[in-house]
Amino acid sequence: MTASHWRQIASVLGLLLLWQILVQAGRINPLFLPAPLSVLGAMWEMTRSGELPWAVLVSLNRVAQGFIYGAVLGVLLGLIGGAVRWVEDLLDPWVAAVYPIPKSALFPLFLLWFGLGNSSKIITIAVGVLFLVLVNTITGVRAINPVLLKAARDLGASRLQIFVKVILPGALPNIFTGLRLGAGMALILVFITEIEATKAGLGFLLWEAFQLMDTRHVFVGVVTFGLLGVATTWLLQWLERVTCPWIQRSN
Amino acid sequence: MLLALRDVGKAWHIARTGERVAALESITLDVAPGEFLILLGPSGCGKSTLLQIMAGLEAPSSGAIDFPAAAGGHGKLTSMVFQDYALFPWRTVLGNVAFGPEVRGVPRREREERARRLIELVNLRGAEQRYPHELSGGMRQRVALARALANDPQILLFDEPLAALDAQTRRVMQDELLRIWTETGKTFVYVTHSLSEAVLLGTRIVLMTAGPGRVKRIEDVPLPRPRLATGRAEAAMLERLDALLGEEVARAMAS
Repeated sequence: MTASHWRQIASVLGLLLLWQILVQAGRINPLFLPAPLSVLGAMWEMTRSGELPWAVLVSLNRVAQGFIYGAVLGVLLGLIGGAVRWVEDLLDPWVAAVYPIPKSALFPLFLLWFGLGNSSKIITIAVGVLFLVLVNTITGVRAINPVLLKAARDLGASRLQIFVKVILPGALPNIFTGLRLGAGMALILVFITEIEATKAGLGFLLWEAFQLMDTRHVFVGVVTFGLLGVATTWLLQWLERVTCPWIQRSN
Repeated sequence: MLLALRDVGKAWHIARTGERVAALESITLDVAPGEFLILLGPSGCGKSTLLQIMAGLEAPSSGAIDFPAAAGGHGKLTSMVFQDYALFPWRTVLGNVAFGPEVRGVPRREREERARRLIELVNLRGAEQRYPHELSGGMRQRVALARALANDPQILLFDEPLAALDAQTRRVMQDELLRIWTETGKTFVYVTHSLSEAVLLGTRIVLMTAGPGRVKRIEDVPLPRPRLATGRAEAAMLERLDALLGEEVARAMAS
């Protein structure tokens, strides 16, 4: 533990403590800003009743499915598009057209096409993840030093071997950038798709609490989303360390 | 003779202006088994392009390249050592050296055994599991050399392999290259713009003209080894080549 660590811990604990004291002293209306301990209490109750774990499970299922479909498709299209000129020409106008659209704006369309069930939510998430991963994968393939391709060819690698043994590992660092951005996007989109047309999930729980003006439970939802965000970041960092041990990290 | 270039030319097409720029013109050259052949010339004389043509990485625009020995030979005849090493950053030293045999379908045990033997040959024992970014420039070039040897080529092609190294490391690596050339009995074709390197290393020096590159003169280097940068015979040879090369540099700068 360095001095820097202690300052960070002091900053968090200090602010929480101040907040708790101000609410208890009656200086802040708990209807707007419930005290940290009361939010923690509500979280514990909802965990014991099974309500919170169930909501997390429902949302995670949507996130995981959408993320995996989007990521797999994004990596495949990105690798092929980055390596084969004519495939890139076919992809390029679509990426240019769809990439700037906020993917949440596509959700109503997917609701119309795929109904109120899980699929419209999963597809919205998948599309959001797909474009982030695709664009970063293409960038990764482009960033590969051409002399490496030449060396592989000189050593006798076939086109397929160059693809699998040079282009894929060469693009991995950028692919992981895409995956990290995609994971953040997936959490944003699962919340938005759970506001309407569902009866389960963390987003639903949060939005329902808001409509009942139940600020404590709104906070429970917000904090849980935060924890999910931290958990996915850790998971991806771990995966990157395991699959790309050669990458030098500056921090 | 291992490899023969007959009247080889190479021209680049510049799309922006529609021009054709000649990089090489009527190069006729034989590579003999076991020699240390130096391609020497000013920057932009097309010597790297010539090397890529020998490697089969570029096709000549005119003329022919013959591999008389390849008829009864095995696989590709040449392997290249690049100036900036061109190591795969995601592979360990062992993985880099074993790459050639791996893509040629040599079973894992056999190719790793071969890779370990070559890593030992280039004096990198103990570094098998390190990644390229954990190595110094000189060590990286040793890995690149071992990797090129792993396919057991008859000819090793070097594209200014020591240009990125500091002077001390370059001296050490020159001796290392000579040792490996002697130990393996391979044929070396070596591109450089350094006169002293050419005189220290080569058995034969091909002096090239400024662009478009042609063969200006071919000189045997009859000096005994070990050669010294400060030796009298070496200095005399260097001086003579320097005058010839100077004409070409002046011509290149005037054009």
